[in-house]
Amino acid sequence: MLWVDKYRPKTLDKVLVHEDVAQNLKKLVTEQDCPHLLFYGPPGSGKKTLIMALLRQMFGASAEKVKVENKNWKVDAGSRTIELELTTLSSTHHVELNPSDAGFQDRYIVQEIIKEMAKNRPIDTKGKKGFKVLVLNEVDKLSREAQHSLRRTMEKYSASCRLILCCDSSSKVTEAVRSRCLNIRVNAPKGDEIVKVLEFIGKKEGLQLPSGFAARIAEKSNRSLRRAILSFETCRVQQYPFTNNQVIPSMDWEEYVFEIASDIMKEQSPKRLFQVRGKLYELLVNCIPPEIILKRLLYELLKKLDFELKHEVCHWAAYYEHRMRLGQKAIFHIEAFVAKFMSIYKGFLIATFG
Amino acid sequence: MGKRSIVVLSSSDDDAGDCNDNNDDEFASKSSFSYLNNSKSRTASVPRTKPKGSKKVRISSSRSHPGKSVNPFDEMKLFCEDFGESFTGFKVSAGNRRDSKELWLDKYTPSSLMELCVHKKKVEEVKAWFEERIPTRKDEHCNHVLLITGQSGVGKSATVHAIASHLGATLCEWNTPTPTIWQEHMHTTIAGLRYISKLEEFENFVERIRKYGLIPSSSTREQQKPFIILIDDLPAINGKVSYGRLQRCLHLLVQSVRIPTVILITDYSREDTADYTSRCWDNLQSFLQSAGACKVAFNPITVNSIAKTLSKICRGEKLRITADQIDVIAKASGGDIRHAITSLQYFSLKSGSTGSGSDKIDYLDDGYSLPFGRDETLSLFHALGKFLHNKRDTENLTTSGSVYLKDDFARLPMKMDTPERVLGQAHGQARPIVDFLQENILDFVHEEAMDDAWVATSYLSDADTLLASLTGVQYKNYAIENIIQSTAASVAVRGVMFSNRHPLSSRWHAIRRPMVWQVEQSLWRNKKEILGQRTAAYNSVNLSDPSVIATEWNPVLKWLGSRAFKDSERHLGSVSGEMIHSEGYDGKEMDDDDSDEIEDW
Repeated sequence: MLWVDKYRPKTLDKVLVHEDVAQNLKKLVTEQDCPHLLFYGPPGSGKKTLIMALLRQMFGASAEKVKVENKNWKVDAGSRTIELELTTLSSTHHVELNPSDAGFQDRYIVQEIIKEMAKNRPIDTKGKKGFKVLVLNEVDKLSREAQHSLRRTMEKYSASCRLILCCDSSSKVTEAVRSRCLNIRVNAPKGDEIVKVLEFIGKKEGLQLPSGFAARIAEKSNRSLRRAILSFETCRVQQYPFTNNQVIPSMDWEEYVFEIASDIMKEQSPKRLFQVRGKLYELLVNCIPPEIILKRLLYELLKKLDFELKHEVCHWAAYYEHRMRLGQKAIFHIEAFVAKFMSIYKGFLIATFG
Repeated sequence: MGKRSIVVLSSSDDDAGDCNDNNDDEFASKSSFSYLNNSKSRTASVPRTKPKGSKKVRISSSRSHPGKSVNPFDEMKLFCEDFGESFTGFKVSAGNRRDSKELWLDKYTPSSLMELCVHKKKVEEVKAWFEERIPTRKDEHCNHVLLITGQSGVGKSATVHAIASHLGATLCEWNTPTPTIWQEHMHTTIAGLRYISKLEEFENFVERIRKYGLIPSSSTREQQKPFIILIDDLPAINGKVSYGRLQRCLHLLVQSVRIPTVILITDYSREDTADYTSRCWDNLQSFLQSAGACKVAFNPITVNSIAKTLSKICRGEKLRITADQIDVIAKASGGDIRHAITSLQYFSLKSGSTGSGSDKIDYLDDGYSLPFGRDETLSLFHALGKFLHNKRDTENLTTSGSVYLKDDFARLPMKMDTPERVLGQAHGQARPIVDFLQENILDFVHEEAMDDAWVATSYLSDADTLLASLTGVQYKNYAIENIIQSTAASVAVRGVMFSNRHPLSSRWHAIRRPMVWQVEQSLWRNKKEILGQRTAAYNSVNLSDPSVIATEWNPVLKWLGSRAFKDSERHLGSVSGEMIHSEGYDGKEMDDDDSDEIEDW
């Protein structure tokens, strides 16, 4: 088991990072009823961990006995039937799923599948009507229609079912859904919090941590706890005992972006742009989300850039990032950004060096 | 049953006040035809103004005899005669320059080889083929089937007819029989006759030829006179089964026939390659060739020879039509001589009495409002080549432009039609066009012109954004969708053309297939794989986002792969390792086999 999973706090009491949030959640569920919840925050901040701990708090240890199911659903949508395959994780008390896995058919998932699940109302041992919890991941990636039908589902089945929604950014969740939930913001952990967690793990594993080593990992982790723990473990495998100047391995795709950035800096021409396009395709094929590519690319470019150009480059990056959201094919917009950068940089070089 | 396709020639009576001095012309141009299938509506609209009472509403009724098959073409001809007659009816007063009631198409059917406007070489080729086969009928090894292809109106049948008469051979034609109408069918089934499909009839025909040769030929008088079989139109096929039958049947024909046989196949629009039946025809052609048929492909007739033929007709009809006008008609016909002649006749009706040449030319020049002429079509690659090569005049001649632009925005005039028109001719959909442009534009931009490249990519990004605004709309509004599609295509094309200020000098380029398509496919596949293995391989009890898996879990697991995770490594090694190195597309390989090549247009 990876350390990320191994040292995931199981209960709300054991949570190391967001203790205040955890305590509030605990209070919330001890009073029987619980509203719909919406967890949002950057990746690696501990949303999932909190949700799982919360479920344990609500239902006891049986919430942890989950089974994975790959179910085929047939949804009757007017004139045709749509077949969908969806993976769910479920225990007796809750079901977790990723509606956005269904892509553009997510609407049907929300409408039909959730409806069906919500209808099956569990009855607990005392004959009291209980409620089932649905955990929906990546709500922000749902289409607008799906979010609308989600709203309806929430209203209709609120008696028998609680929804826990989880997403990176609440701004992409419609107002209607947000207002029906208790919004819980989970911040990205601060550097020292990450260090605390890493030291805790180091102690448990019986490792000798040189001073400042954890801080270096934390710094490289981009404030993502998951990432910090993962790279911590990588370092452990790579070299132990740790040395203070040990290289903390970065992700392969990041190195690739770095390569692209230096390609761009070296030469600015349509031909080079074409080569860059090929490399971008390589990243995209490997499921690296385009917005992460763009962000990382900007980060790498800014590192090497002259001060006076930074503002303009950032402006264009933001412009094309927005375009990318509106648009369909990400490569068009990333490429346009690269072209713009090349054009700015080339102009700058000519102006400076003649 | 009985009454079908009643042709009613009715006039529009709405401008009763307008027709004053030259009633005839007014009328001729405004009359409209309508086919009415309903036998009850015999009471056609009676016009209020009857100039000279010479107009007759002619009804050609009930020409179908269930026993005898009537050629649809005959029917059409009859209809056309009606048409011609009624027109000449009006024209009596306007002049006696037209003394025949025939359609010019029939009147000027080429009867000798000299009159054909097909390219001489092709005619020679066909003639040579016939001459080789006609005298020696004992020759066993020689194949006896000639396949002539070409778009409609390039004189395929005319050539065969002319050659046949030149060689003094009798021509036996197979024409597709008239379609059976439902009512007719009902009638005959009551009478106990079975419905025979056209394909079946064709099969029977081939079988007969195979078994008996041509019966009349052997039994009748002169043995010397050779025969030629002409199969003008193969029966329509739909679906695999009937295609197979037709293929088998033709195979038999090619193998066994002893008489020179000509099969004509019309090339329908090449652009819809997705269409199953058009692909069938292509297959059929190559199949026939491999079965031993000799193929001659007729090209569209050149503008020059059309113009020559047209002016000959004009001389014959004593028409005063300028060379320019003839040229316009010839160009608009798109290499279809039949169409050109009909257009000429129509045009002469219109311009006949007014005879004013100058204003006519003006509006003929304006490519959009030609009252006749075929729609020209282009292949997608041709159009893309035009956009990408971006040929422009070397200097700006039109000084009349009232809008003064900054130098940055001013461009030389294009050496082509407006891009929208070219797009329309290419039948391209916006999405593929945008993708193709994105894939290929960088090859056409000058090595130093980074700014141009940026402008181009930026416009393509705009086009993509426009196209994306269509998705996710629940209730489709096709009108809006249409507008967005054409706007996006227009933005992309014009953007690309506008941006490329320093196009590379024309040279040969291969247009690549958009790589985005393949990238999208493999992305989708990889994502599915990640989702599928998510729970099995990642050993964790939560459903993570595929992006998180790709950016964080996979790289780390690859790092850890060999040492720490002996058990899960087996799955993972295959997922993450392969993806970057082998699963990723092999760009080079694809370039080679899938590029559609274009020359410098």
